[in-house]
Amino acid sequence: MLQYWTAILTEAAIFSVLALGIDMIWGWAGDFDLSAYAYFALGVYVTIVLTVGKAKPPVEYILGLRLPYLLAVFIAVVVVVAFASIIGAIALRSLREVYFSITTLGAVWAIYYLVENFTPLFNGYNGVYGLFDPMGSGLSYALYHYLFLGFCLLSLFVVYLVVQRLSRSPFGRMVRAVRDDEHAASVYGRNVFWAKYRTYLFGAGLAGFAGGLFAAYIGAFNPLDWKPTEIFVLYAAILVGGRGNPRGVVLGSFIVYVGFVEMTRYIPSPAARPELGPALRQILIGLLIILMLKFRPNGLLPERLGTDGTVGRRSWRDFFSRSKPPAQDEGAELLPGASGGGAS
Amino acid sequence: MSIFWISVGMGLAVAAILALSAVAFTLEYAVSRVVNLAHGEVLTIGAYAAYVAENTFHQSIYVCAAVATIFGALTGVALNFFLIERFRNQKSLTTLIATLGASLILQNLLLIGFGGASVSYAFAQGNLLHVGPFYWTTLTIEVMVSAVVVAGLIYVLLQRTRLGKALRAVSQNRDLARVSGIPARRVVMQTWAVAGAVSGFAGFLYGETIGTITPSVGNGFLLLSITAAVGGGLGRPYATFGGAIVLGLIMSIAGTYTSSAYQLVVAFGFLVVMLLIKPNGIFVRGRAQTVRA
Repeated sequence: MLQYWTAILTEAAIFSVLALGIDMIWGWAGDFDLSAYAYFALGVYVTIVLTVGKAKPPVEYILGLRLPYLLAVFIAVVVVVAFASIIGAIALRSLREVYFSITTLGAVWAIYYLVENFTPLFNGYNGVYGLFDPMGSGLSYALYHYLFLGFCLLSLFVVYLVVQRLSRSPFGRMVRAVRDDEHAASVYGRNVFWAKYRTYLFGAGLAGFAGGLFAAYIGAFNPLDWKPTEIFVLYAAILVGGRGNPRGVVLGSFIVYVGFVEMTRYIPSPAARPELGPALRQILIGLLIILMLKFRPNGLLPERLGTDGTVGRRSWRDFFSRSKPPAQDEGAELLPGASGGGAS
Repeated sequence: MSIFWISVGMGLAVAAILALSAVAFTLEYAVSRVVNLAHGEVLTIGAYAAYVAENTFHQSIYVCAAVATIFGALTGVALNFFLIERFRNQKSLTTLIATLGASLILQNLLLIGFGGASVSYAFAQGNLLHVGPFYWTTLTIEVMVSAVVVAGLIYVLLQRTRLGKALRAVSQNRDLARVSGIPARRVVMQTWAVAGAVSGFAGFLYGETIGTITPSVGNGFLLLSITAAVGGGLGRPYATFGGAIVLGLIMSIAGTYTSSAYQLVVAFGFLVVMLLIKPNGIFVRGRAQTVRA
């Protein structure tokens, strides 16, 4: 039971990092990016091929080095960001909203089919595998996993602090101003493309980092078990938690991930119908996405914009005393609320 | 040279089905301003409905086609009624995400209902014929002829009927159409029925051509439909039709000269290039600065 919870919490921590990355692009900048899966997968692949050593035929993949794990993760993040800089430059230059989503959808499937069919790259259908205990600790199986859970939680904590800090920084406020009104923001001298582009690269980098963590956790990756639909659960998680609010995103990831994994344990999955459990799980995810969008689009912990359009500090006390209206400073009525620019 | 013409012939066969699916997709966008990511599932439902009619009830090929069409229309109407209309006043991006959820639900309902293993129709593939420079089977020719007939029907519907006129008005501006006395809600509903029917029929043709049907068969085709629609001109039926023909030919020719595995990579590469140089579509005049829905 302890190992079971270790596994679930590790996955939830890794997916929280990924969700924070997706949320930067979707929640802050307002670009619904469907290619986040590609960055995650690329992070996993690069980390694995950099750490497991030479490929033995008939398995084939590029590189096959034996670098230290942390260095490999770092390189993976760099590769992912470089890759995202190409797709981001294409998709963000003049395409917005639905067209942006279509472009990223096309990109992710093109990459998916390429990786699946072009075996010299990452061994095609069969995928790459063989990564265990990348830090060379030599610990027992159980102890290693506890240690790794600690590492993932620590990583999540650091990433959360950075993202939260960034969210409240002038940069975070500026990106939201661009999201809410591009024209107003550009009138105030903000470079719209550059703001969205930097957010995109940062989010993609986080996705790549989550991939690096995930590589060490499952040690293997192949395109048949990891279709792009696998991360739709994170869109549901972000919607549940609250788009644009890092705290909400982490909360939503843990709720949805732990909640769904827990729930699927109790769905009967007879041996004759092994697809039943996963299928029901996907249906629930779809329902959750639709219902949240319809009835609670801002999630449990909504992104809160202050009266001047900035992102205010939000404490737990606010959450429990919601009935009390936020203190308004003088002349606040003169300023339009969230729809205003607020590009500071 | 003959290999080139054979691949062109195959491309036309694919393009015929793709054109139907893409035109249905574009009609949905035209009236509801929604990129319907659950469009592929309408095709799959049509294909499975025909499979049940053929396999369980032993009906003829014509009855199966009719069943696929009817179930497609019902699915289209249901999608519009239960989902799209509920999100009518939202941004189109919100509706896109909602259809993503609907796609997950429908696809997995099919998976539960029919299992993950692929099924196929028992219709004869027919003989291989040599028509001019092309090689086609009787079945491919039937598929192409029926696709052309359906395309012609769509043309008549759009240009010669009251519904078509109302549809074009609603697609330009729903509110203006409403104040000039067009029952917009009903027109949108009828359009979804037409689009669903065409999709269901296209799903049947696709299942017949490739021979295997799985719960995710339509989802792969969705991406091609989007590519054809956006490449040609999203929301414009005739431009989309042209885009589908071009895409079908490009895919088939590229597949012949590289490897069929990379057909889809080529298709999405085409999509990305099109969005970069001509985001409004090949067959639409003018050039937009920033494209948003």
